[in-house]
Amino acid sequence: MSRTLHNHALLSEVPIENSSQLDIKINVSYQQFDLTIELPIPLKGITGIFGHSASGKSTLLRAIAGLEQTLEGEITLADKKLVDTKQGIYLKPEKRQVGLVFQNSRLFDHLTVLGNLEYAVKRCKNSKLSLDEIIKLTELTTVLEHRVTELSGGQQQRVALARAILAEPKLLLLDEPLSALDQHSKTQLLRMMLKIQKNLNLPMLYVSHSLDELQQVCDTLIVMAKGNVVDFGNIHQVIHKLNSYDDIDIMHQKTSLSLPIKQFDNGHGLTTLALNAKQDILLQMSEDFEQQTLLRCFILASDISISLTEASNSSIVNHICGSIKKISHQKNNVLVTVHCNSQDFFVMISAFSLQKLSLTIKQQVYLQFKAGAVRTFIH
Amino acid sequence: MINSDLQALITTLEMAALTTVILLIIGTPLAWYLAKMTSRFKVIIEAVVALPLVLPPTVLGFYLLIAFSPEHLPGQLWQQTTGQQLAFSFSAIVIGSVLYSLPFVVQPLQKAFEQLGDSLLEAGALLGAGPLDRFFSIVLPLTKASFITAASLGFAHTVGEFGVILMIGGNIPGETRVLSIALFDHVEAFDYARAHLLAISLLIGSMVLLAAIYWLNLPKRPQHKTKAVKVDQKESSTYE
Repeated sequence: MSRTLHNHALLSEVPIENSSQLDIKINVSYQQFDLTIELPIPLKGITGIFGHSASGKSTLLRAIAGLEQTLEGEITLADKKLVDTKQGIYLKPEKRQVGLVFQNSRLFDHLTVLGNLEYAVKRCKNSKLSLDEIIKLTELTTVLEHRVTELSGGQQQRVALARAILAEPKLLLLDEPLSALDQHSKTQLLRMMLKIQKNLNLPMLYVSHSLDELQQVCDTLIVMAKGNVVDFGNIHQVIHKLNSYDDIDIMHQKTSLSLPIKQFDNGHGLTTLALNAKQDILLQMSEDFEQQTLLRCFILASDISISLTEASNSSIVNHICGSIKKISHQKNNVLVTVHCNSQDFFVMISAFSLQKLSLTIKQQVYLQFKAGAVRTFIH
Repeated sequence: MINSDLQALITTLEMAALTTVILLIIGTPLAWYLAKMTSRFKVIIEAVVALPLVLPPTVLGFYLLIAFSPEHLPGQLWQQTTGQQLAFSFSAIVIGSVLYSLPFVVQPLQKAFEQLGDSLLEAGALLGAGPLDRFFSIVLPLTKASFITAASLGFAHTVGEFGVILMIGGNIPGETRVLSIALFDHVEAFDYARAHLLAISLLIGSMVLLAAIYWLNLPKRPQHKTKAVKVDQKESSTYE
């Protein structure tokens, strides 16, 4: 994967505000593994870190948290130097004001749920947050007196999340917190992360191997491979760039979108999103959700089809008109990029269909996809 | 006459209690160090700690007797600082007991610390707990059972000690005459009735102590539930 990624190593531009950022210039060396990162990360919203196993994403989080001893270089959080090996600065993890939620929740078995939360509160210097408010946010009210070993995996991760927040860190690191959970708990925790991020204005670095989960909550995405950052930028741009990497077995090519909601539930359980002034996208959503103007969703490239004429009597509700921008062959399939006003759509068709329709660059085509193909799972 | 046995009992308990306290104070950091150590010298230190398990007590007692004598450096230093001879003193049998019972305290603690691992300590550190705080708030409560085992084994083993004390303590009433030595005295004097009394008391005492340890270490809470195994790793599983 890395070979192809390196070819695309032009990093997307991210506007960095001067106010606060995490500055990383580090090198971590092991016998079989070498991590070299030089990157300023804006401390705003949720920043995702994507990569396969052994890409170094967990090592990067451990380095920021202070759990990685063999490290050279500098890490600066806002204006505070966490590490500067040249000057002999190496802050211990307890002095960094960085929180970390691990893949396994790492709760203290000898304490109750409340005991675990109070552990963080007692050691917190500022204590600005209200314990009750965080308990409510993480929906732990009913299990406070339980032993942590009696909880389900999802509940344990919620306790871990609440506990990390109550230490009032300046930056919260999340190391694959959802990987051991079922789909329902994943969705619930993702929603909670978003809500907490907004309510407390707490910047987060979220490591995951699931691009879908990252797509739903992150504003910025960092892609890592073999101990290096190979891409960094706006979530949608980076996901679209990932579409053209060879690695299709693992990555599902998709169109990633944040669209304004035009009309909520048309009476048939469909919600209308405004793609642009003229065109809409319909998706299935009848469940009520919190006041939000933009909706994060994605459409798999294999869920969109191309037609040369607009189908007027089809059950498929979404018909988008655009022009072909790029055609790239991937084994027996073809990834077609269709440009529609300012938005690119990615469509996977067979080489056979490409030949049958004799598609060419700049050709006007109609994209068709069902409402159910527009996916969002946190709303 | 019974009074001398009571005296021996008091000396024994004093020796064992002091030894246990000293062992916990030096044994805990030693066990921690061994549990976290990765250097190849670890096996050598472990072997030294475990030595009293296999060594005849008289061997240890013999070398300690030589070291504690006023002709040799440790004995000289002791005499200079305290003004008293080390060999054949209460202090000598306490030092001897500390060395002799060391593995009984260090080994269970080391095992417990190794099993505990680093993950919870890392979690504690990230919540703002410093090293000592982490020891008292995480390590101690989670390894409590091992501390009870270590202290009880150290205490019981010290009470039952004979060879080392005979070599370096002699048989001074009120100073170094402990129960096991008093028992030996009675046997040598063919006073089997009193020997029997001491022997049965030691037997019952040890039995009660061991039963108490096992009772204290009975699991009071249900076993840990096995945590959810890593599934759903593939992205495809989200497209149900």
